[in-house]
Amino acid sequence: MLGEFLHILAAATISWILFVTVDILFRLPEAGGVSGASAVARDIEAGGGALAGGTMMGNIVCSPDASAGTLLAACGVYVAGIPGGLAAALMVFVGNRICHDPGYAGTTGAVLATFVVYAFTLVGFAATDFIAGMVIAILTIQGLSHTHASRLLDRLWRIRQ
Amino acid sequence: MIVALEVAFGLVALLGAVSTALVRDSYGKVISLGVLVAGIVPFIVDRGYLDVAVAVSLIAPVVTIFVLMAVRRAEA
Amino acid sequence: MIALYLVAAIAVFAAVRVVIEQKTGRKLPYANVMNFAVAGTIVLLLDHPLSLVAAAAYFVGSTLEANAVASTYAGGMKR
Repeated sequence: MLGEFLHILAAATISWILFVTVDILFRLPEAGGVSGASAVARDIEAGGGALAGGTMMGNIVCSPDASAGTLLAACGVYVAGIPGGLAAALMVFVGNRICHDPGYAGTTGAVLATFVVYAFTLVGFAATDFIAGMVIAILTIQGLSHTHASRLLDRLWRIRQ
Repeated sequence: MIVALEVAFGLVALLGAVSTALVRDSYGKVISLGVLVAGIVPFIVDRGYLDVAVAVSLIAPVVTIFVLMAVRRAEA
Repeated sequence: MIALYLVAAIAVFAAVRVVIEQKTGRKLPYANVMNFAVAGTIVLLLDHPLSLVAAAAYFVGSTLEANAVASTYAGGMKR
């Protein structure tokens, strides 16, 4: 019981680092990919947040990015192993194109996450830990405090620049 | 399904329905409809009707887009 | 089993936040958390290859919905 809980927390940390790194490497905080992303960013900035972090949160809302890729890849590995993860990457790619997003952040994140999750299932983690962990990771970015999360993302984005 | 989960997702669906009825803002109504669908889908999946779940989750956004057209026309 | 309870609890929490929040632009990230949680629930409830397709279809559909709402909202704000 307690061990499973610790596994979920560790998986949440790993997937948080994975998707934030991929998103920032693909320059998501720089500009809104679609017009809806900048509207979300404006509302978050009006509430006291930072603009670059708000833009990245708007991009996560408006199109399947690396966070969605990580979640669906973990689901795919749980259902069918590595082929399931790659099928999830294909579906994320189609979803990106449906949402008018030209980027490759989601597909890259899904392929990377497939191998990361599979490697951790060999060590003793279950794939379900990564599904719950990814939901916790997205909760910390989008669901607790928009002000603090956007400031944190803004600070990470300045380091990358 | 386990009783606790039934209660949880029933609560989500109920919250969506009540707030769709009560919210005045038209965008808020559309988002609350999304909450309503999110509460319903796990019940469909639990009975094993995965094809129905796929159909519902593809039809619901299309309906939302049609509703949004009406919202935009009402605003203009 | 604990993963399923955790994901369901997060779904309820996010739904409550969506209903409480007033501004449209700040409702959408909470709705996004709820969509993540429901997509995770679909796979955790039923271990079947088609449930991956159902989760992906739900997730892409709800993202498309959020995208449409946000871009219509942006257009409405510009005017």
